[in-house]
Amino acid sequence: MSELSVDHLLGIKYLQKEDIDLIFETADHFKEVINRPIKKVPSLRDITIANLFFENSTRTKLSFELAEKRLSADVINFSASQSSVKKGETLIDTVNNILSMKVDMVVMRHPNPGAGVFLSKHVDASIINAGDGAHEHPTQALLDSYSIRERLGEVAGKKVVIVGDILHSRVALSNIFALQLQGAEVKVCGPKTLIPKYIHTLGVTVEPDLRKALEWCDVANMLRVQNERMDISYFPSTREYSQQFQLNKNLLESLDKEIVVMHPGPINRGVEITSDVADSGQAIILNQVENGVAVRMAVIYLLASKIKQ
Amino acid sequence: MNILLRSVTIIDPQGKHHGQQSDILIKNGKIHTIAGQITPEKNTRIIEKDNLHVSRGWFDSSVCFGEPGYEERETLANGIKVAGRSGFTAVAVNPNTKPVTDSSAQIAFISHKGQRTATTLHPVGALTAGGQGVDLAELYDMQQAGAVAFGDYKSPVTNPNLLKIALQYTQNFDGLVMSFPLEKSISGKGVVNEEATAIRLGLKGIPALSEELQIARDLYILEYTGGKLHIPTISTERGVTLIKEAKKKGLDVSCSVAIHHLFLSEEVLEGFDTRYKVMPPLRTDKDRKALIKGLKDGTIDMVTSDHDPRDIELKKVEFDHADYGSIGLESAFGALNTLLPLEDAIRVLGAGRRRFLKEETTLEEGAEADLTLFDPQHTYTFTKGHILSTSKNSAFLKQELKGYVFGVINGSFTEIEE
Repeated sequence: MSELSVDHLLGIKYLQKEDIDLIFETADHFKEVINRPIKKVPSLRDITIANLFFENSTRTKLSFELAEKRLSADVINFSASQSSVKKGETLIDTVNNILSMKVDMVVMRHPNPGAGVFLSKHVDASIINAGDGAHEHPTQALLDSYSIRERLGEVAGKKVVIVGDILHSRVALSNIFALQLQGAEVKVCGPKTLIPKYIHTLGVTVEPDLRKALEWCDVANMLRVQNERMDISYFPSTREYSQQFQLNKNLLESLDKEIVVMHPGPINRGVEITSDVADSGQAIILNQVENGVAVRMAVIYLLASKIKQ
Repeated sequence: MNILLRSVTIIDPQGKHHGQQSDILIKNGKIHTIAGQITPEKNTRIIEKDNLHVSRGWFDSSVCFGEPGYEERETLANGIKVAGRSGFTAVAVNPNTKPVTDSSAQIAFISHKGQRTATTLHPVGALTAGGQGVDLAELYDMQQAGAVAFGDYKSPVTNPNLLKIALQYTQNFDGLVMSFPLEKSISGKGVVNEEATAIRLGLKGIPALSEELQIARDLYILEYTGGKLHIPTISTERGVTLIKEAKKKGLDVSCSVAIHHLFLSEEVLEGFDTRYKVMPPLRTDKDRKALIKGLKDGTIDMVTSDHDPRDIELKKVEFDHADYGSIGLESAFGALNTLLPLEDAIRVLGAGRRRFLKEETTLEEGAEADLTLFDPQHTYTFTKGHILSTSKNSAFLKQELKGYVFGVINGSFTEIEE
């Protein structure tokens, strides 16, 4: 396979296994590029990319922007707080206005699930979903799998547990799709109130006990509790949450094997994960951030090469 | 003017002419003669179509037209035309107008607009003042002005004591109370059914539990108060079971199902298409099959198109922001006749009339002409070209349907495709 099967990256569930292989091979190349003294290639000098962030983001936005600049694309940034969105303009109008300024690609983060899919049907540009509500966050799942592959050699056959707020998490959903597509086995662990009742329809199992989940897995992906997406209180206090679902040094050292610890960030230190674990050699949290740039370069490069055709 | 229906097959399972192929002569708004072959007098309008069938006129218990207040969605005049061409000689019009239909003057306004037309409008009055769910509206006064039932459309009665009082109060004048089956503290900010699709799409789910709890509560209250309760548009398997048990106990409860809940299940939402965003949400295929079964065995009393026009500005937005609702009059018969045997489809299309209008029509000589004309065999893909409504938000676009409606005759008034 030399090109992606899709024209947009809207979610992992729209990809095939071969797409992920191609993205990873391309990312390998870019990872080498960003470790050179001159960290830039001229590949996308004729491409303009708009980063539209209708929801707060620090690392994803920086990572995309850096990836775009390393590829020599022209970049414009837009965030909802400065925009006319608050004046009642529709999403389609906002984006079409930006596209009229001859933009080729849109990277969008949006609070509503399906916003990327909606946009791809109504505007003429390649869309990369940088997170849409509790739906998908495909580049995060790709960089997570890429980091597992880097650490453990391959993803196929690995056992991964995702711990925390599964109900409100696009990272969990995209990771489940990505890991299953590559042949990994997935369990989820967290308070029953934060795990969808029908999660089994995705082919994942629920492990209510964190220790048992950790004993089972090769990789633990610790999620943040997304207080901002909760309309009611799903557990009594963060103290009680931590008592049951915190990954700390004692727990990690009591296992009879060495597991890989991941976190998509931002970390609530002392809540879902303690500092000594987050900063330990078993954690690959900063590798995930570095790989994020290479993987996003790969995605942008591969989608841009379809535009050029 | 006289009308002659030429060589028409009569579908009237309860009547003596069922299955007969005849000519039907209508004089001065009444069925004059049903006979093998009738020679028309001068000035008779002759209606002759391929595979022409006729039944008693259909009734829809839940239709929204925007007027007054939301004329950009639909006007009463065009709504009447749409209903007529879709085969309905009578429709109950929901009170979700602006202002909400909660007084006798507003009831009279709608009633008046829907008289001397091919489709008669029967307004539903709001159960509570302003549809606010706090105090009862003037129910008796509205009934005197022509209201056929009372309900706040899709706003559930959250206060159980209010439902208790409504069911008690309406007994003095034989009023019909409607209660939308949704327990809002359970449904929360949900927008689609809670199961597989909600997870795959990252959309907030509405558990079936939210419908079941409210139905169970309402039936419990009804058992205490007596009175007449109608539960509109049930969507879950367990909802059907609850109503079946209540009917066995002898409670005076009726319910309806929206045709889109019989025809579609949650999988169609996969592309985030807001045409499928309806309330209650589309459920699973298992629910869908249970609803069809409930309709066939009589647990569900009637079908409705739950016709709810919404203009493009309210639908062509992000899924979370889009309005609920689909139009359904134009596709009602084609969809239903695709799912059910013809006689069952005709039966359930007429079944709400007794409950809401306290009357039945007949298809025999001497009776008032109240007739629907259709071709049950015609198959086609439902497209925008079939939509006569002002708003085009149909969940049935691109579906293969079987059964085409030519129009209606209602006394001296007709709405028939030329």
